[in-house]
Amino acid sequence: MYSIETKSLTKSFGDLVAVNDISFSVEQGEIFGFLGPNGAGKSTTMMIFTTLLKPTSGKAMIAGFDVMKDAKHVRENIGFVQQETTVDEYLTGRENLLLQAKLNHIPKNEINSRIDEVLDLIELSDKQDQAVVTYSGGMRKRLDIAGGLLHHPKVLFLDEPTVGLDIQTRRKIWQYIKKIHIEFEMTIFVTTHYMEEADNLCDRIGIIDGGKIQVIDSPQNMKNALGNEIISLVIENNNNHDSFLVELKKIEFIKKINEDDSKLTLFTSNGTEVIPKIFQISSELGIKITTISLTQPTLDDVFISYTGHEIRDDKSKFNRKIEHAKMKRLRA
Amino acid sequence: MNSVMYDTYTIFWRELKRYKKSRSGVLIRLIQPAIWIIVVGNIFSETQPLIQSVGFEGEYIEFMAPGVIILTAIFTSIFGGVNTLWDRRYGFMNKALTSPISRSAIALGKMSAISLIAALQASLIIGIALAIGVTFPNPLMIIPIMGIVILFSLGFSGISVTLAATAKSQETFWGMINLLGMPLFMLSPALFPLELLPNWLAVVAKLNPVTYTVLLVRELMTGVSEGGVPILISIAVIFAFVVAMVAIASYVFTREVNKPF
Repeated sequence: MYSIETKSLTKSFGDLVAVNDISFSVEQGEIFGFLGPNGAGKSTTMMIFTTLLKPTSGKAMIAGFDVMKDAKHVRENIGFVQQETTVDEYLTGRENLLLQAKLNHIPKNEINSRIDEVLDLIELSDKQDQAVVTYSGGMRKRLDIAGGLLHHPKVLFLDEPTVGLDIQTRRKIWQYIKKIHIEFEMTIFVTTHYMEEADNLCDRIGIIDGGKIQVIDSPQNMKNALGNEIISLVIENNNNHDSFLVELKKIEFIKKINEDDSKLTLFTSNGTEVIPKIFQISSELGIKITTISLTQPTLDDVFISYTGHEIRDDKSKFNRKIEHAKMKRLRA
Repeated sequence: MNSVMYDTYTIFWRELKRYKKSRSGVLIRLIQPAIWIIVVGNIFSETQPLIQSVGFEGEYIEFMAPGVIILTAIFTSIFGGVNTLWDRRYGFMNKALTSPISRSAIALGKMSAISLIAALQASLIIGIALAIGVTFPNPLMIIPIMGIVILFSLGFSGISVTLAATAKSQETFWGMINLLGMPLFMLSPALFPLELLPNWLAVVAKLNPVTYTVLLVRELMTGVSEGGVPILISIAVIFAFVVAMVAIASYVFTREVNKPF
């Protein structure tokens, strides 16, 4: 059985299609990363999965239950840790977990042992009776995550779990997530826009952009699919620009070329053999290469190769308008 | 049904915990009604002949004390729903909505907590009233009075939760609260007897549930029946008001929180 299964899932707000006909499934016990730039449809998808939004069409099954027809059972089987910390500041850590336990109908006689268990896991046992207002950002986040685990959900949804945290804390949170995964054997669905995070945590990654899933695979396969090397070069503008590209494509090791004005990114293998060939072609065409470099692909490069832009790239004005319209509709 | 009760209690528990932790809030909420009873009660003490003309023998401050108790109940409960907006803004609402608890239990839990808090605040005002010399012919009457205050506040917390669930912003909410709170208080016999109102205003006042609550509490407190409204009618009006408001609030709340905020 799949933990998450969607078929042609679509959500539109008026004319704007936020999630466009996506179909994929996540196996039980997987850590699945959902990656995409702001406004790509990550949050909307997450809201559908957690029953906060109803899809316009298509189907989504969580832990075997339909989010439309059987929302109550979905809610019984999921944990949801939101992007913003949602713990009550004036309650103590333990009181926050007690509230969470009651919200999730944990049987009375189990509540205390469950709370002790998660407090131990996130290493907050010694601070449990202090008001959350005295906690650091990372501690609050850990408490929030603990709240999502308390009822041992089958699927745990983490929305940008490390956004706004410093690198050390971020690493710590990853450790906890991995620990949780091993200890409770739950499926974890995590959205992020940190490549490093996805690379570190996830068994598989889905890249979403413009409401559509661009690719789903393991981080390693994704990187391998690009060849194992990347050549970036900057050329001076020249009339022979197009024929240069045509010639480059003929080099057998080059798998893919991305073009951004005068900057070319070549996804390739056997980079050291390719570079001399590039120089040969460029001198034949009279093209001047300003800089050239050879690197190993990161998940960032994978992302760029599928979406055509960097994850934190400022989008064009046009897209910002769409985004604005969407937020307005969400609020209305 | 059992689970709705449990869920309602969960939310009720959380709201009361938050109230308990905000000690300054308890005092701040007391200031306004305390000013009313101390300042206005004394300023208007010369109006005793006016209230005597309708058969009330005591001091003005004794006449208006029930009004101020109800004022406390009105404003504590009508403001009480504001944290619904915070909860939606800061994610607690989504947390609750993605857990298996029932939606109406969230509304019911909030309303019951608000009404209990309003009653606690009102009891503090009764304390102040006693301290400045207001007397109760029958101190045991405090028990039914508190019952009425809790019930009445439940109705007003319904108004508050309804407004908070539909308001998209703090500004809208506060605007609506101010629009409703003061007029409902003023258009009641809280400060002056109904008989002194011009006819058309008296008609409006008779449509106001606050009127019946003030009359009832005043009768229990001072033993003077005023305005010719029998106790049973007042109780019936309050009950109808509360049932209607709680139903509307649960319905509107459940409908509104399902929309994205």
